[in-house]
Amino acid sequence: MNDAAHAAPPGDTPERPILHSVLIHSALIGVSFLMLYPLLWMVSGSVRPADDMFGGQTSLIPSQVTLQAYKTGWFGLQVSFGTFFLNSLAISVLATIGNVMAASVTAFAFSRLEFFGKSFWFALMLGTLMLPYHVTLIPQYVLFLKMDWVNTWLPLVVPKYFAVDAFFIFLMVQFFRGLPRELDEAAMMDGCSAWRIYWKIVLPLSLPVLATAAIFSFIWTWEDFFGPLIYLGDIHSYTVQIGLRSLIDSSGTSDWGALFAMSVLSLIPIFLIFLFFQRLLIEGIATTGMKR
Amino acid sequence: MVSFTAGDAVARRPAKPGRLSRFFFAGNGAGYMFLAPWLIGFLGLTLGPALASLYLSFTDYDLLQSPRFVGMDNYVRMATGDAKFAAAMKVTFIYVILSVPLKLIFALALAMAFNRGIKGLPFYRAVFYLPSLLGGSVAIAVLWRQLFAADGLVNSVLSVFGIDGPSWISNPNYSLYTLVVLSVWQFGSPMIIFLAGLRQIPQDMYEAANMDGASKARQFFRITLPLLTPVIFFNFVIQTIDAFKAFTPSFIISAGTGGPINSTLFYTLYLYQEAFGFFRMGYASALAWVLVLIIAVFTAFSFLTARYWVHYDE
Repeated sequence: MNDAAHAAPPGDTPERPILHSVLIHSALIGVSFLMLYPLLWMVSGSVRPADDMFGGQTSLIPSQVTLQAYKTGWFGLQVSFGTFFLNSLAISVLATIGNVMAASVTAFAFSRLEFFGKSFWFALMLGTLMLPYHVTLIPQYVLFLKMDWVNTWLPLVVPKYFAVDAFFIFLMVQFFRGLPRELDEAAMMDGCSAWRIYWKIVLPLSLPVLATAAIFSFIWTWEDFFGPLIYLGDIHSYTVQIGLRSLIDSSGTSDWGALFAMSVLSLIPIFLIFLFFQRLLIEGIATTGMKR
Repeated sequence: MVSFTAGDAVARRPAKPGRLSRFFFAGNGAGYMFLAPWLIGFLGLTLGPALASLYLSFTDYDLLQSPRFVGMDNYVRMATGDAKFAAAMKVTFIYVILSVPLKLIFALALAMAFNRGIKGLPFYRAVFYLPSLLGGSVAIAVLWRQLFAADGLVNSVLSVFGIDGPSWISNPNYSLYTLVVLSVWQFGSPMIIFLAGLRQIPQDMYEAANMDGASKARQFFRITLPLLTPVIFFNFVIQTIDAFKAFTPSFIISAGTGGPINSTLFYTLYLYQEAFGFFRMGYASALAWVLVLIIAVFTAFSFLTARYWVHYDE
């Protein structure tokens, strides 16, 4: 079928499409390799013996494999990276639950309920999509400082329960609007409350978008650097990202092996999510066209 | 009589407005119940703080003493007496102007290469998307710092070809460009959006163009590009706003200094230094509002010019 379709245009010899696709594939494989090379090099750098790192080393294959750098990096600061990983995990999970719950409730109101002032609030919500967070940063900091929340996780978690990230609301409104209205109407006839419609009808039908939101939320919270940087001062409460930054400061750039080892570990959760939920991530980007 | 008519009215009314008002009342009640978390967050964590920072931008505030009103001083200082602000503006604009078009060109070129149902698309798409997903993390900035160090991978590769590369990161002539490369490396997500946009273009247009003997290049410029302009526009606006807000790479690569000689001092990094390094909260608030202004002017300008080059399907 394919060959016939390709051969159809007049003047095309059958060999041309083959040559063409060989050329395209070699170019794409070349670019893929170039794109991945730094990442692969970081992974290989993390398992090299310390003296193997320099001296014009460009090969991806280490002369010998050792996990020494992982050990040095893990215990490279006064608190081990195990604590940082647990902190990151806890903050990311709590933030994700907050984002999904608050955004779905809000999106339900905007997409399925009628109330006075709806379009006004909706316009304001859309307005905050583009607002740089810097503009709320300082008063928020002052607020959390006065509440004695600085140096705790609370400023990183609690705001998510108030749907501060409009992206997730937007994502879910798009999806909820696609669900058939007849479902709500039938349920309303049967005397279902709005809450039951949300909980029993809309949410179960929206698992794909809830999963997409959860995945993005987890990744962004995991990768967040700025929030933890300003709010977490005590090393016991550090996230992985801040831990990495401290590792640079403490070891300088002398111990690339340890830095690479901890960097690789910090990427593993995101990489696993990418492996298992790639389709959801790509659909999420393609449908909303937002962010990473 | 009177009571009868009144009673009549009361008896007649509830049928219609009663149900209506009950509907409205119930609807509003449920609506605002569901809206409550967002509404509290919006008023307390977004709108309130935004207005507060607007006020703070006219004050001198160090967190210890209460804000002291100084009028336009912060803005005047920015415009006239702050070399570091000028440096941050220059660095940020160079970064935006270079990285956004390059990134979009790569994204479009690869989306085009994939468009005609190429074999192995899921694999390539995954490979190209991965950097976008990981790119924002500290780990990648750490990696970049090593790649472009004096004894880093880039120079090792160059030395194979007999080229003695500079220390990219610590040379103010090159340091910013390493960050541009880092941004362009993450062209995967705009590429996915382009792919989705390309799929919307009806295939029969190309078939008709083929019939008429239009060359591939002509088809690209006459069909693909015009029909893709809404997506290009969208990617352009989103990527530009994102580029203005970039922070992590410049912080990690320069160890928070924006150096060497302010060559990687992103606007947001300067804001961070003013706010959390020197605790000049008033000045930092003014910086934040100037950033909003820049983004607003850019967005408004984009939308105003859009009707001259963006093709909308009527």
